[in-house]
Amino acid sequence: MKHRGRLVALAAGTCVLSIYPAFADEYHLTVLRDALLFGLFAVSLDFFWGSTGILSFGHATFFGLGGYVMTLVTMTSGLPAPSVLGLFAAVGAPAALAAIVGYFLLFGGVRGSFFTIVTLALSVIAQQLVISWSSVTGGDTGLLGVPPLALGGYEISGAMATYIVVAVTLIVVLLALRALEQSRWGKILIAIGDNEVRAAALGHNAPARLTLTFVISAAVAGFAGGLYVAIAGVVAPDLIGLLLSTEVIVWVAIGGRGTLLGPVVGAVLVQRAQQEISSMNPSLWPLILGCTFVIIVFVAPDGVMSIAERSRMLLRRRSA
Amino acid sequence: MSEVLLEMKGVSVKFGGLTALSDIDYSITSRSLACIIGPNGAGKSTFLNVLTGTLRPSIGSVAFRGRDIGGLALHRISRLGIARKFQIPSVFPSLSVAENMDVARWGAAREPDETDVLEMVGLSARRDVKAADLSHGEKQWLEIGMAIAASPKLLLLDEPTAGMTSQETQATAALLHRLKRHTAIIAVEHDISFVRALDTDTLVLHQGRLFRRGPFSEIEADEAVRDVYLGRR
Ligand SMILES: Nc1ncnc2c1ncn2[C@@H]1O[C@H](COP(=O)(O)OP(=O)(O)OP(=O)(O)O)[C@@H](O)[C@H]1O
Ligand SMILES: [Mg+2]
Repeated sequence: MKHRGRLVALAAGTCVLSIYPAFADEYHLTVLRDALLFGLFAVSLDFFWGSTGILSFGHATFFGLGGYVMTLVTMTSGLPAPSVLGLFAAVGAPAALAAIVGYFLLFGGVRGSFFTIVTLALSVIAQQLVISWSSVTGGDTGLLGVPPLALGGYEISGAMATYIVVAVTLIVVLLALRALEQSRWGKILIAIGDNEVRAAALGHNAPARLTLTFVISAAVAGFAGGLYVAIAGVVAPDLIGLLLSTEVIVWVAIGGRGTLLGPVVGAVLVQRAQQEISSMNPSLWPLILGCTFVIIVFVAPDGVMSIAERSRMLLRRRSA
Repeated sequence: MSEVLLEMKGVSVKFGGLTALSDIDYSITSRSLACIIGPNGAGKSTFLNVLTGTLRPSIGSVAFRGRDIGGLALHRISRLGIARKFQIPSVFPSLSVAENMDVARWGAAREPDETDVLEMVGLSARRDVKAADLSHGEKQWLEIGMAIAASPKLLLLDEPTAGMTSQETQATAALLHRLKRHTAIIAVEHDISFVRALDTDTLVLHQGRLFRRGPFSEIEADEAVRDVYLGRR
């Protein structure tokens, strides 16, 4: 029932995405496209947070790393198929970093708030590094002129083409991660999230499974980052830092943790709100973001959707 | 052809100053049924914790099928064929009954076929119910079912009948006698009527020591054991 509902939601979302270009002008198309890219990033976080219950507070590290690696590869002259190589690197580098981090933290038994805090530190360190290492990363200002995506000599640029690439990528990734979640792998992950010691006592290697899930999550985040810089044409430290790491948590929490599609909706809506609010008063947004975050942590740690679910349960109990 | 399946030699477990298990020598053969009794805090759960790798013995060794399992990771010990039903039901609340059973089967080193374990534990009508929504008794049965599902070589049951009706308790005893044909079983139990129904090799733990071991009829007749249970010793 629940699974059917989500599939219907995904189908509806696909319809909206296919119809939207017919009504939107070029500007709005690019706005939605960029929001969807961050939505893809939110999906990557939700895949780990939603299925394991462990929160990574440094997920922008992987998004940003993907972006920087993509930039460096595609700006190197003389490479064959730079976009393809760049995207491979944008997936591979964050995956490798997540494997190392996961090995030390998850195999070391670090869970819960400790994992959250260490990954937060990771994001801070990453941002510091790209700011300081300016000869390679362009420092504070980042790098301009990241080449657009190209396949076999054809450049994928322009609002429509890039929108299609992003929308299709997003749907494919959503379907793939959904399939993974509903497979044996996903069931065992839920069991580990429920009671890790119990799952281990049944023969499941929990740290290995958690680490691999973290790696997949980081790979998707890196892919999103790689696509983003190629489409935006720039890379900058705010793609790797703490603010983005916080924002992505808010998107996932507002959209509904563990739903995969919800975080995309969350990302689109919150970014829309951010634009509205920032146009009224530019300094208001960080304040609102911070407050939203605190409210989420204290009132609805399982995501804003859980409030709806909880009140529905309360109502049912009252009517029963 | 009853080979020694499990052998504990000089096993002690200390928690700070407290000795929870003290110098235990114990072994059981495959396809046998043993029962552990003893008053609260005697060390029964600790005994099982050592066998499943949840605890490392402070001193001594534990060998399973000739292999030292001291210090092996939890999931590795499980994959050797040791399954456990926990004292407090700890099924996976977010998964359905059937999914709980799947997760138990998938953990086995050689994955057993889907069998009618749910039938055996009387939960086949509840397959699609979320484990969180089961009654306490049903959770107990699911726990037992999950422990059986992986077709282990050694099945450890910590108070399998806690919270069961006397009818269910008798059914559990009958189930264990049937399972004994496939696997060795060690059951920890408080309920003397259950132990009497099992009527098997019984071990009495008292203050972490192996106090007596023998057939239940002998244990039941033993004055010293009665004293332990009545708190006279
Ligand atoms: N992790 C632990 N840390 C410290 N002390 C412990 C720990 N586990 C058990 N103990 C102590 O070791 C002793 C034996 O405990 P154990 O749980 O093995 O008893 P039990 O025979 O299973 O009791 P019950 O019948 O109440 O289940 C008790 O005194 C208990 O308080
Ligand atoms: Mg106990």
